[in-house]
Amino acid sequence: MKKNHDDDNNNNAQQSKDTTVGILDSRFNQTLRNVQGLLKGRNIPGKILLSQRVGSPDYSSLSSPTYVRNSSYSDTGTSDHTSERVEKEAQSTSKSFGTPNENKLKVSASNVESLSEEVQKSSLGARATDSARVVKFTKVLSGTLVVLEKLRELSWSGVPDYMRPTVWRLLLGYAPTNSDRREGVLRRKRLEYLDSVAQYYDIPDTERSDDEINMLRQIAVDCPRTVPEVSFFQQEQVQKSLERILYTWAIRHPASGYVQGINDLVTPFLVVFLSEYLKGAIDNWSMSDLSSDQISNVEADCYWCLSKLLDGMQDHYTFAQPGIQRLVFKLKELVRRIDDPVSSHMEEQGLEFLQFAFRWFNCLLIREVPFHLVTRLWDTYLAEGDALPDFLVYIFASFLLTWSEQLQKLDFQELVMFLQHLPTKNWTHQELEMVLSRAFMWHSMFNNCPSHLAN
Amino acid sequence: MGAYRADDDYDYLFKVVLIGDSGVGKSNLLSRFTRNEFSLESKSTIGVEFATRSIRVDDKVVKAQIWDTAGQERYRAITSAYYRGAVGALLVYDVTRHVTFENVERWLKELRDHTDANIVVMLVGNKADLRHLRAVSTEDATSFAERESTFFMETSALESLNVENAFTEVLTQIYHVVSKKALEIGDDPAALPKGQTINVGSRDDVSAMKKAGCCSA
Repeated sequence: MKKNHDDDNNNNAQQSKDTTVGILDSRFNQTLRNVQGLLKGRNIPGKILLSQRVGSPDYSSLSSPTYVRNSSYSDTGTSDHTSERVEKEAQSTSKSFGTPNENKLKVSASNVESLSEEVQKSSLGARATDSARVVKFTKVLSGTLVVLEKLRELSWSGVPDYMRPTVWRLLLGYAPTNSDRREGVLRRKRLEYLDSVAQYYDIPDTERSDDEINMLRQIAVDCPRTVPEVSFFQQEQVQKSLERILYTWAIRHPASGYVQGINDLVTPFLVVFLSEYLKGAIDNWSMSDLSSDQISNVEADCYWCLSKLLDGMQDHYTFAQPGIQRLVFKLKELVRRIDDPVSSHMEEQGLEFLQFAFRWFNCLLIREVPFHLVTRLWDTYLAEGDALPDFLVYIFASFLLTWSEQLQKLDFQELVMFLQHLPTKNWTHQELEMVLSRAFMWHSMFNNCPSHLAN
Repeated sequence: MGAYRADDDYDYLFKVVLIGDSGVGKSNLLSRFTRNEFSLESKSTIGVEFATRSIRVDDKVVKAQIWDTAGQERYRAITSAYYRGAVGALLVYDVTRHVTFENVERWLKELRDHTDANIVVMLVGNKADLRHLRAVSTEDATSFAERESTFFMETSALESLNVENAFTEVLTQIYHVVSKKALEIGDDPAALPKGQTINVGSRDDVSAMKKAGCCSA
């Protein structure tokens, strides 16, 4: 289930490729066991496919995105010397950033077996702050030119909290990968946002069209209803910021305009970019601790990141939302491939995927998981980049089938209500990581084999 | 009644939709009726949501399957798909926001374009507890309802005012149409297959029971 224990390879660069493959095997098999456990007793094509794929010579490429993505085995073949230096760097880095657990997951290369045990036992939640991962992020981010592919690999499994603002700006293509240009571009973009706000938002209603007034009204209705369970979002200044970002975005994206639910999509950006200025728990944050420059920088970053994110999903929010309808259809097909009993049961009950999955796609699962897990979920989203819409289908299938057994016991009305109020309130990182790992597995299995998903 | 989990035994199953502008309180009307809950922290509805509750009419158990829809215009393409088969509708506006009342006419047209002409419609002026903010008079709404042959009530989901009445009235009216129709064609209503939504009868049936202005607050 652990797809991202890359810590081992810092410590011993001499580690033979065989051993690496061995670890890979054991992890892959663990994931397999998890997935097979999930599929147990079902007569489905996926299971057969699984065992075939494991034995196939093509296996390394099968595992590549997760394992290579997360651990970059191939590029750890540096010298011992380098590794040590990097290790020290990790400790000092994590100290200076207050990451408490630099000693937590030191793994010696001779310890391969215990590692794989640890891999199976350890909780996934702490992953993003593991010192070795911090080192890797630091390394990728410190170059003059950030190699986005490497950053994606690392970020897929979670980004350390304090690096998230920088990493997200890069992953979304908002901040340039060239560090020499970065500050200048961000400054220019932030000014451009301010200009837009002045031009479109800070004007009297008499200068707005009826449609614009309607849109502003709709946004004003929704801002107070945005993530209401987190009290921070009830602060008036937060809602004003949301309103400015959303209205400016809507005016500059007339093909869709504002659509309910896009307000939810701003919130991960808002908390991440505010975390550069506001420390501690979000419940203790106050917008009045920020200067107006800081607020407008945060708003600008939210605006541009929202724009970048939605550029890849333009038809999700245009009339009749064809992009979402298409993905809902794909989700239904994928679930049919993976879990025929659930799929048949839903069909017998007359349940349509649109009845529950529409909101999932529209709000990218923000409504379905506790808010404190959302930024971690979004690390994976943003790491997927252009491939995100298609990968969402796998994440959502994995999410849905978390309750595979329960679902089969419910009738139509119970299904609709269960799926619209899923019991995720007490979810921790562990459940989320499970969903993501399984999504990755299925993506590897099905996406490379279009015939298995043929209509 | 009002349990989260629906009752299994019922004589009739009626599909009802909740429509109207964004932020008028549709979701809270639904949660008040089905779970006796009201939330000051509710989120906007995306697409559709759903809840059920059974009530007793005469000696029959009538189960309402209520679809709560998103209010924003952009969602109408999605939500109008849920109008199909609906035999009742609560068309909600906010008594403190006149624009939501102005849009009632469009909602009504939308509804009539997508449903049987005989659907039982109740115009609902919600947030009646906000007396000092009232922007739509009861008289205006009453005359609109008379003109359009819909029922009308003012409600407060917050204060639990008239919510029960509004839903019960709609369900009772549907029941009367259906049982009357069944009587006319000599059918036993109890023998209707369960789990199927029942269509309200012919045009004549419904016009007979259409009267406006019941129990306005």
